Amino acid sequence: MLLEIDNVTLHYGRIQALHGISLNVNEGEVVALIGANGAGKTTTMRAISGLRPVSSGRIRFNGEDITNVRADLRVIRGIGQSPEGRGVFPGMTVRENLDMGAYTRRDAAGIAEDMERVLTLFPRLQERIKQNGGTLSGGEQQMLAVGRALMSRPKLLLLDEPSMGLAPMLIQQIFSIITEINEQGTTVLVVEQNAQQALSRAHRAYVLETGNIVKEGTGQDLLHDPAVKAAYLGVA
Amino acid sequence: MNFDALFDHIGQHTVDGLAKGAIYALVALGYTLVYGVLRLINFAHSEVFMVGTFAVMWTWIGIGAGNTPSIGIAILLLVLGGLVGAAASGGTAVLVELVAYRHLRRKNAPSLVFLITAIGVSLSLTEIFGIFTGNGERKIQGMPTILNQSIAIDFLGVEITNLQLIVLAAAFLMMIGLDQFINKTRYGRGVRAVAQNPDTAALMGVNKDRVIVLIFALGGLMAGVAAVLWNMRYGFTRFDIGFVIGLKAFTAAVLGGIGNLRGALVGGLLLGVIEVYFATLTASKWEDVFAFIVLVVVLMFRPTGLLGESLGRARA
Repeated sequence: MLLEIDNVTLHYGRIQALHGISLNVNEGEVVALIGANGAGKTTTMRAISGLRPVSSGRIRFNGEDITNVRADLRVIRGIGQSPEGRGVFPGMTVRENLDMGAYTRRDAAGIAEDMERVLTLFPRLQERIKQNGGTLSGGEQQMLAVGRALMSRPKLLLLDEPSMGLAPMLIQQIFSIITEINEQGTTVLVVEQNAQQALSRAHRAYVLETGNIVKEGTGQDLLHDPAVKAAYLGVA
Repeated sequence: MNFDALFDHIGQHTVDGLAKGAIYALVALGYTLVYGVLRLINFAHSEVFMVGTFAVMWTWIGIGAGNTPSIGIAILLLVLGGLVGAAASGGTAVLVELVAYRHLRRKNAPSLVFLITAIGVSLSLTEIFGIFTGNGERKIQGMPTILNQSIAIDFLGVEITNLQLIVLAAAFLMMIGLDQFINKTRYGRGVRAVAQNPDTAALMGVNKDRVIVLIFALGGLMAGVAAVLWNMRYGFTRFDIGFVIGLKAFTAAVLGGIGNLRGALVGGLLLGVIEVYFATLTASKWEDVFAFIVLVVVLMFRPTGLLGESLGRARA
């Protein structure tokens, strides 16, 4: 098991955002976490990446307990994230943003190799390489955020709402790239409101409601689950 | 207003102003670096400069420097002073961060608490130096004159002294070095990342605390170089020397656009020139008044300063 979340609770001040969630991700999988606005998807991501401390429960990564490990050190252990809202550095060029993804690495040859790979995955970034991140369109910023997360050569790639604010064609494209990244050997945990896309691409998925995991199964199972259909797929 | 005195020698006054402003610019960098990353106006930075002037003075007196030594010794004292000043000021700045600010950040203290802490640290350092230096007499302390001032360049009647040349060259070199460091190196990228988006910076593996220590150290280093230049130029220091210099450097930072490194340089040089112009017009009486009128006017009409902020936000 690559990632194991065991009964994690998390509070924002007095408000409890996660009510003891457990989920796991195996090596090589694409796992989707779907749910409505405010269900706790992004909070779960922040707990995994270490941006918010958990109140109780354990998080294990690659066999080690990382519950109390600082966020910047989790990157070195192999967790890469494209955060909610993309988090592009607006005053840095596209290349500098990508270089930031490799901040913890010293292997110049490997970094150059991954830069090549990211620019092949996202040719649009190559065209914009000298532009500031803040001048990119929403879709380009999304590509930059995903590409930047890949630059750390993560074992586990966390994607928070990669389809947010994108045109339908771009959504298709970004999910195709996610599948491609996975096939190249990276494990992926993706948080999505676009349940249709996420479930059809994921090996397994969890449904999150108000801080609780209420359902889990293979992507295909959940895609055909009547309750999921009604709540998240807009099908009666 | 004596306009003839100003315009008959406008070139000379400009050079004098630039040399004066270069020291403000170096100190201003410390305000701007810390503000750019933490959104904190570090009022203790004036004392970071003050500690530097004392460290340099003690070093010079300690190794028995006499008045106007030979040029070789003078350069040696200048370089040694620069190293000691940078270490003392940089160390003080880092100490202030570790002792005071870091704990407040851990507790998520509101920004007003940081501001009051900064003022508290500033007053404490001032008073400690008032009590423990110069037998507690709180007087101006003189030091050896390291450089015998002479005219180095005479260009169309504008005379530039060797001291002015050193001050301007040192300020520009430090400035270029800092600019390259922030914009071209890996650590500099880390600083900009934390300034632009601290959470995402952590997701890239940037250790925020280490970046913060780095910016305090860099700001202190610049103040330390300013301290040695000040000592050479004016030949005295005092426990409360930081107050007016600090306020003027802060004005310079705001004038250029706080959070913008190049803005600190532009603001500092401009403020120096404005001061010298008004000193000439009013026979020195109104010099300081105008420096602060400039601050108020800038804040009224262009609160983001001349160049705007850049360390934190996108460059325009």
